[in-house]
This record gives sequence, C-alpha cells and structure tokens, in this order.
Amino acid sequence: MATTEELKARFAPNEVQQLTTSRQLHTLRFSPCGKYLFGGGYDAAIHRWAVEGDEPFKELPPIEGHSGWVQPLVFAHEAGLLFTADSWGRISAWNYADEAPEAVWTVADSHDGWVRCLSLSPDGRQLASCGSDRMVRIWSAADGTKQTELSEHADDVYAVAYHPGGEFLVSGDLKGVVKKWEIAAGKSVGEFDASALYKHDRIQDVGGVWRLEFSRDGKTLACAGTAPFGGGTVQGVPSIMLFDFDSGQLEHTMKLGAVKDCYVHDLHLHADGFVIAVTSGTPGSGQLLLQVPGEDAPFFSSTKMSNCHSISLHPDGKRMAVSATNRGSNGNGRQLKDGEYAGNNSPIHIFELVS
Amino acid sequence: MSRSPLCKPWEHTLTRRQLLGAAAGTAGTIGLGGLGGLVQPAVAEEMKQKEKQVLFMWIDGGMSQLESWDPKPNTQFGGPFRAIPTSVPGVHISELLPRSAKQMHHLAIVRSMCTQDNSHSAGVGRIQRGDPKNRGVTYPYFGSAVAKLMGPCERKLPPYVWVKPGSSGFIHQDAGFLGPKYGALAFGDGKPPENLLRPDTVSEADDAARQKLREAANRRYGELRRPLANDANSYVYDMAQTLMRRSDLFDTSQYDPRDVQRYGTHDLGRHTLQGLKMLEAGVRFVKVNSYGWDTHGDNFNGHLSLMDKFDQAFSAVVEDLADRGMLDHVLVIAMSEFGRTPRINGHVGRDHWPEAWSIAMAGTGLKRGVVAGATNDKGTFVDTDEYDIGHMFHTWFRCLDIDAFKVEYDNGGQPLPIAHDDMQPITAVLA
Repeated sequence: MATTEELKARFAPNEVQQLTTSRQLHTLRFSPCGKYLFGGGYDAAIHRWAVEGDEPFKELPPIEGHSGWVQPLVFAHEAGLLFTADSWGRISAWNYADEAPEAVWTVADSHDGWVRCLSLSPDGRQLASCGSDRMVRIWSAADGTKQTELSEHADDVYAVAYHPGGEFLVSGDLKGVVKKWEIAAGKSVGEFDASALYKHDRIQDVGGVWRLEFSRDGKTLACAGTAPFGGGTVQGVPSIMLFDFDSGQLEHTMKLGAVKDCYVHDLHLHADGFVIAVTSGTPGSGQLLLQVPGEDAPFFSSTKMSNCHSISLHPDGKRMAVSATNRGSNGNGRQLKDGEYAGNNSPIHIFELVS
Repeated sequence: MSRSPLCKPWEHTLTRRQLLGAAAGTAGTIGLGGLGGLVQPAVAEEMKQKEKQVLFMWIDGGMSQLESWDPKPNTQFGGPFRAIPTSVPGVHISELLPRSAKQMHHLAIVRSMCTQDNSHSAGVGRIQRGDPKNRGVTYPYFGSAVAKLMGPCERKLPPYVWVKPGSSGFIHQDAGFLGPKYGALAFGDGKPPENLLRPDTVSEADDAARQKLREAANRRYGELRRPLANDANSYVYDMAQTLMRRSDLFDTSQYDPRDVQRYGTHDLGRHTLQGLKMLEAGVRFVKVNSYGWDTHGDNFNGHLSLMDKFDQAFSAVVEDLADRGMLDHVLVIAMSEFGRTPRINGHVGRDHWPEAWSIAMAGTGLKRGVVAGATNDKGTFVDTDEYDIGHMFHTWFRCLDIDAFKVEYDNGGQPLPIAHDDMQPITAVLA
C-alpha cells in the first residue's frame, strides 16, 4: 500500500479539458473500450462523446428513447452493450459503439417508476436493477428476460452492486438498510447497517444509500450518501461508510465535508487503495476528493467546480471525467436571460489523473 | 385612561391556571357525545344545511406544482416523475398523488396562480392575508377573516383553530387589525392545552368560586383598559371553558384505527384526521399545516417522501367529507405560499416560484372535477389569465356566501374591503 505522500505525488488531478452541455446530466461513464464517454440526462437522453487520444472530445448525437431521467449507465465489455434505465421504469440495452445505437432489447416496465441503479454480474450474464417500487430484480443481460425478483426491502431501493466474486449481490435503500443477497438461493443472508445515512425529519425521509461500490478484491463495501442534518432543503455531511464484507463490521466512516456539502453523489474505489468521490450540496458547493480511508483529510481536493454529480475513471487509469453544474444555478423567482427562462447544464471537466 | 399592562393575556399559551379559572363547574362534561366516531347522521345533516365551514391545509415552504397538480412530464424541467390519469377523463396529475387522482371528481384545481412574493418571510403573511391594497393596516389571515365575518358555528366552539406540529398557543397575530380576539387557537401536535380537565383535588364548588373571582378580577381589569384588550382576555377564558366541555376532541385513542391508517400515522395524517373531527364537532375554520416543504435541495426525493404523506391525508379527508355529504358545506383548500422553480438547481432542488403555481380545492360553492387556468408547455409561466391570491379570496368568500363587493370590515370607522378591490372571483371554478 502506497503512503499518502506517495499517492499525492502520483495522483495529482489536472484539468485539461471542459465539455459544455445544454442539459443537466445525472451520471457520466466512460465505455470500457475507452473510446466513448456517455452521460445520462435529465432530458431522457443518453449523451455521447467520442474520445480519441488527446484530441478534444467530440460530441455525438444523443441516444433517444428513454423518458424522464436517465440515471444508471452500465457496460458489458465483451458483449459491447450499454445498459441504461430511466425514471419511468424502462431498461434498455444498446450496442454502444454503433454510429446510431439501436436498442438490442428493452423492458418497458421493469419497475413501477424510477429505476435507480443497475449492476452487471462479474460474468456479464446477469443485470440487477432496483427502484422506487422497493424491488430488486435480476435480468438476463443477453435478452432482458426476468430471472429473479428480490422483495424484502420495505423502502425505495437506491443502489445495487454485485460482489466481485459473483456469488452475492447487495442492495441499499432509503432507510440505510443494505441487504446481502445470496443470488443462487434468491434470499437475503445478512445486512449492513448504514442507517447513519438516513434521518426522519418532520414527515420527510431524508438521505439513503445513494451508491454502493466494492473494492476490487471484494473485501470492502462502500456505502455512500449523506449523514443528514435535516430535510426540506436537505443538508448533511457527505459520508462514505466502509464495511468489511465478510464480517459486516463497519471499518471506517469517511466524513467528506461540512453540512452544506451534503451528498456523496458518486465514488470510485481506486485500485491503489484510495477513494475518489464527488459531492454536491448547497448550490455552488462541490468537491472532488481523493482520500485514503482512515485518513482525516483528502490528499487532493478541489472546490472549483460547482455541484459535482458524477465521476468516471477512464480505462487507461490516467484520465477522469467529472460532471458538475453551471455557476449560479439557483435563485428564487423570475430570472430571464435574453428574455428567456434558461435551464441549467452540466459542464464536464476532464482531468489528467496521473502526474 | 388605560393602564399600561405588562403583558397581554392572549400572548400567553393557555395555561393551567387560566383553564382552571375558566372551568366553572363544567369540567369533564361532554357536550354532544364522544367524537370517537362520526357525528350522528341527523346532526351532520343539520350542520350541512346551516353551517359553512373551512378546512385549510397549509403546506409551508412551497409544494412543487410540477410534482403535484401541474406535471410536465418529459420536458426540460419536468423532473423524473410521470403524470397519471385521474377520475376525471383528460385530467392528469403527478404520479406522486395516486390517491388524490381517484378523488379528482371532487376537486377544483387552479393551475394559473401568479402571485407577487418569492420569499417565505413576506410571502406567507402576504398570501394568507389575501395581499390586498396597502391601506396602512395589517389585514387578517383568511382564518381570522372567516372568524370575524361568520363567527363561531352554532355550537360555539372556537371559530378558528389550528392543528399544527410544534407548540400550542393563541396566535393573535393572525387577526391583524381585527384585534386579537380573532386569532387562531393553536393545538400543538393536536394536543389540548395542558391540564385541560379539572383535577379531582378541586371540587366543583371551589372551581365555581374561582370562576366568580376570575370574573370579578376581569371586570376590574377591563374597567381600566381598552375594550379590545379586555374582549380578547375574556375570549381566551371563554374558549378554554368551551374546550373543557369538549375534551373528547383531543382523545385520539377513540379514533377508528382504520381511519388512523388511512390518513397516515405521521403528523399531517393525524392532524388532518383531527381536523375532520373538529369540523364534525362544529368548528368554523380548521387550519392544518405541514412544515418542511422548502426543497431547495434534493427536491425530487423530498417530494417523493412528502407528497406521499400529503396525498394520503388530503385524499382521505376529501373522500370522507364527500361520503358524509359535508363537501356541500365545507370548503377545502390545499396550498402553499408559492410553487417551486421549473429550473432544477445544482443541489437537485427547486427554488421559490410565485410566477406559475397551483392550488387544489374542493367543496361548497365549487364545481367538481374541474381545472382552471394553464401554464405553458414547459410549466414556466401562465398561459391563460393569471390569478393572484386576491382572486382566491374573492372566490373563497363567494363559496362561503359572503359578497366581497358588499361586505366590508369596519376598522374603527374606517371601511375596508375584505378582498383586493381590483380582483374578482374565479368564475371557472364556481358552481
């Protein structure tokens, strides 16, 4: 394991490019081949950019067909598929490298409403989904046939992730309940207590397990979200709870900011043992953080970007994309620009990660 | 000459001493039978014919019109949610209101609200006072206005009560220039003032003696003060006395558990159910409110959670009022101080938006199953006639058979209109 000083010397994110968007994005992901960057939008579109060496990223026509918000983006490398889902319940698989990708298969009503997360099994054969209907479902990645339905959550299920070993699946919900499922048996065999990521405030349920991520060796499970302070205008401390997967014991809780910084929106557990995370809270606040679990402070942080929502590491390990929000995104009442009521957008910041 | 008082009685929460003083030997007695169940059909029929009442559901902070009554699915600002059909063909509302969608045939929705204030601090008062022309006086909240103009119902229960989260008290500020007597009697968490019942250690005779002493002291107090102040002081005692006869109103243990589940065990559900019981008991104006709707951050998860509770309580009370024939004489209003911005900010929230928002209503004087006004395709601005809160006050007064063009307040000889004098009722929703 490298020391923090060594990591600091090796990983020094440097912004090299910024992409403009006309709409807001929820999720950003590089394809496993490294040739494309995809963004799931609030406009029901899947936005795309071609990535060629050090050339500026080239925007491609978006993929249409979804409704509401497109949130999860997951790839099957060998099959060349991109799996996407939206807030109206649709899951689709696309040949993402095609010039004009068509849906290979679609399940229109995979969930009743918002599909929050997808995860592909390590062997690439199963796709797990979860949603606001409190369900976890497993589909054939090849054709979208439903294989299993897991129904023990009592609340909206926000996140799902396959264990690298392929035997287990985890799912996390609004109240911070993280269930460990034995896939072959189709039953839960344990729970992780991430209830610190939830609060009941007045009549509002606040927080939840927004992201689940395994370390490459499968020994550590990261549960990300916020330690909520209150509802309404949600505030809280962006937090990542790191559990030992076998024992279920909480090993560390990473507190990544102040109350105004609110949610960890996305994270990546780096092979070198540190966490890359982005946060978004009070409009204007946003952080990119690289931190070793157990350390008090990040070895790199940037607050130059406003409201960071997603992060994706390029397969070459040398580049990273962060989606943020334009400045001045908030404000009460009538604010017109050139006579028009303008929406917000998600500038994408491309970093060189390795020094 | 008035003596300068150290404090005013109505500024205090109803205290044990006040209530004990007001007991007058009536403690523990029940007026019209327990309200654990419904008011008897014959009684309800009588009330229906004689008494117009109001249920005012105040959603404090700002409910998003896009996540409720005016969804714009699959548009730039539409958010993640779908629109669903309702019991009225052609009318769609947010999928976050599935139960209310089934009650749409009872509802009247105004989707073209355009009001003047985008701050909570000024907006809450401005909206609930009807935002009339500035005549140098503080206008009353709608509840106080109704209390003044209509008085208590026949059973003489307090005319304006407020079932709310948090603390209890007498909210005299609501009354504005009408004077503190017309303020709201607030029941924190639906609970009665502390020590409502006369303790066993105080005999009826002792209680009556104390009451006589209080009345004498009150007369002496009144002789040296302005009548307005003394009226309010007496009023607080009178209300306490009345409430002591109706302690059953606060005995939620007698509610049908099925009703409790239908309305929801959360604050808004419990308080709305209690509001229904108070209407059935004969309270003129019941305000029920919910705090925490100012969703500048995480608006969509917030509304997913909040709207579920609102939908549960609102649909249940509309259904029950309809089933009991009470919508014929009860006006139901559900609203906030403004809506929320179409633009989604970086905290995935929506900010304050008075430019184009919605109000839901039902009941007496209103058409049923109608939508008035419309916003543009993106939901950013009103596309039809804009309605301000003054239009709503005119509409509500018309529903209550009060002619806002003839009836005026008398502010110490100064005649004042009861609603904005340049506005009119919204005929599109009037029956």
